[in-house]
Amino acid sequence: MTEQRKDILDMLAAGKITAEEAEQLIAALERDQASAVPGHDTRPKGKVKYLRVVVDATDNGEPSRVNVRVPLQLLRAGVRLAALVPPQALVKANASLSDSGVPIDLTQLKPEQLEALVEHLDDVTVEVDSPDATVRVFCE
Amino acid sequence: MPQLVTVKVNRPDRRPLRFWVPVLPVTLLLFPLVVLVVLAAIVACLVFRIGVVRALGAGWRVISALPGARFDIEQGRLAVLVAIR
Repeated sequence: MTEQRKDILDMLAAGKITAEEAEQLIAALERDQASAVPGHDTRPKGKVKYLRVVVDATDNGEPSRVNVRVPLQLLRAGVRLAALVPPQALVKANASLSDSGVPIDLTQLKPEQLEALVEHLDDVTVEVDSPDATVRVFCE
Repeated sequence: MPQLVTVKVNRPDRRPLRFWVPVLPVTLLLFPLVVLVVLAAIVACLVFRIGVVRALGAGWRVISALPGARFDIEQGRLAVLVAIR
């Protein structure tokens, strides 16, 4: 039992507040605690349909904004399409990625892994703040 | 399948441009071109030894999943919006 809840019950026991007021105070306390939990997500679970990418930047003093909304279903379809890429093309892509300083072996990525990644995207929120730009990636 | 593509262009000091592109009538209009594209895709699948049915199915899934996509780009007073419904 938290200290605040105990105080409310003490006031009720002392007759300073009515049972109805005590109930309202406890309900308000629970609401406050729920919103104060770090990382608490108020988005409805299981209802996310879109991946949003929002970029706010300033180019040569002019504000620019990119706002992209992509259905998650499209990502899943893209994963299935990417699974059809022939191995020889993946080898070439690996070489190009390596040359660019991104040593990722695409042949080790399985479609099931990518689908699992897309499935769990609703829990992901990426926020990048820099003096010139703000980038937010999230699901809604 | 997408029904309507909306394109809106806001230009500085000019009237905004708006296009509503009904996908089905346009696809029917461009049907010969669509057939050519599908044939080229089938040939590409055969050349690269990819399952034709799987590839066409995956392509169809991508097209079917397009509704709801929205691309909104603003640069200063210029803005372009593409929405697929």
